[in-house]
Amino acid sequence: MTALPYNYKDPILTLENISMSFHGEPVLRDINAQILDVTRPNMRQGQVVGFYGRSGIGKSVLCRIMAGLIAPSAGTVEVGLAQQPVTPGMVGFVQQRYPLFDHRTLHDNLLVAALRKHAPADARQHVEAYLERFGLAPHRRKYPALLSGGQRQRAAIAQQLLCSDHLILLDEPFSGLDVAMIDEVKRIIVEVTTMDELNTVIIVSHDIVTTTALADRLWLLGYEHDAAGALVPGATISPQHQYNLAEMGLAWHENVEAEPEFAQFVEHIKNEIRGS
Amino acid sequence: MKSLFAPNAQPARLVFTTMVIGQAALLLLLWLFYPMQLFPSLGEVVRALGDLITTQGLIQELWASMSTALQALAVATVLALLISYLTALPFFRPIAYAASKMRYLTLTGLTFFMALMVSSGHQVKLSVLIFGATVYLVTGMTSVILTTTQEEMDHARTLGMGEWRSFYEVVVLGKLDEMLEVVRQNFAIIWTMITLVETLYQSEGGIGLLLYKQNRYLHLDGVLAIQLVILATGAAQDYVFVLLRKVFFPYSSLGTSA
Repeated sequence: MTALPYNYKDPILTLENISMSFHGEPVLRDINAQILDVTRPNMRQGQVVGFYGRSGIGKSVLCRIMAGLIAPSAGTVEVGLAQQPVTPGMVGFVQQRYPLFDHRTLHDNLLVAALRKHAPADARQHVEAYLERFGLAPHRRKYPALLSGGQRQRAAIAQQLLCSDHLILLDEPFSGLDVAMIDEVKRIIVEVTTMDELNTVIIVSHDIVTTTALADRLWLLGYEHDAAGALVPGATISPQHQYNLAEMGLAWHENVEAEPEFAQFVEHIKNEIRGS
Repeated sequence: MKSLFAPNAQPARLVFTTMVIGQAALLLLLWLFYPMQLFPSLGEVVRALGDLITTQGLIQELWASMSTALQALAVATVLALLISYLTALPFFRPIAYAASKMRYLTLTGLTFFMALMVSSGHQVKLSVLIFGATVYLVTGMTSVILTTTQEEMDHARTLGMGEWRSFYEVVVLGKLDEMLEVVRQNFAIIWTMITLVETLYQSEGGIGLLLYKQNRYLHLDGVLAIQLVILATGAAQDYVFVLLRKVFFPYSSLGTSA
């Protein structure tokens, strides 16, 4: 277990006292987390961070809040180096079923996204570059219904990257995938982080092993108990459930899953989830 | 052959076509060799059809009815699309709701009010048809709009599209093929109404009036011949709509079970 050198710079996304209730029922409570721009000597790459949580705990709600799609009942989300309040479109958000516009070809799906940020000629160039980079060029004329699951996922990520400001949020990206597909998604995520120093992939998932293997920071969503031992409604992130994997020497290792410390950490997380 | 009786089976195209031809032939043979007392024979119907075409101008009447039907459908489609799309604004939702419920109104009473409002018989006919088609189309179109999921809208929003742009992309462009399907399905209602309306306003003729006259004089062979012509016209219209959907919305049938 070797901790590789790194430095933290400016905040990229800040969640401050986020709470969310539906019809008076708290779903999320006092969530605080800050994603900082991490730099590594002689390296030019972005980062991957993860939010864990059991099924039904409110991860998708947290995703929608971070993407600016719903306003939290309390608290703020600020994004970018300028730390501006989040609005839809500032954070790329790939939902669980990788939605694309079914009435547009793959090329047009990417173009409609690129045109949000670039002039038409520039947008076309960007689309061509992304089609090549994501191995989708031979499928440019296909409609989404004709794409495989992997192609669809790559297309959805490319579409969001074409119009977001470096931040991309993946909701359950490994859900229901086989081992080969999970490896493919991991490869895409690493590919995204190497495209730009500021590119940050936020994985919100219940897949502990895969998320841990990719991330350098982790936050675990869970429930807290009050002094009497009763469950406090609303999932939150306790201070002891914030993990700096870079500091722990579990980040950026080639084959980290094979390291005993990794297995121990995953077991620890599982126990924390069971106990929450 | 086995596949024709297996649940959810997909028989070969040749097998299926042979089956359809066989069923049609069987029906014709039954009609030819087991004539019922009340039901006119195939020969009588064919003779009546010939007579209707040569002496009573069936083709011209059909064309007159069809052009009125198409005119009504075009206006009704535009109106229904407008009313349905306006449901994006809460202010207009009661209008769409009310329009949808108006399909329970009977046309007979309605024609009286229409006659008071417009000048010519043709205008009355057209406005009744437009009204009748619009209320059915609004019902179908609003239910298509209601199938829009939060995921679809969120997807557009995450690409930085505003609310109107998201609506245009997801609902207007994204569901245009389904709207065409609603129009296809509801075109039949115009044919049902046109025969009724043409009997109420007889000055312009039309296939409905022809049918009414044949019925009145108990020319059952003529009635059946006209019904079959209407059926064939409807089937041809359906085919044209399916063709339009394939040409303009090639993505529409992708990913659906055949």
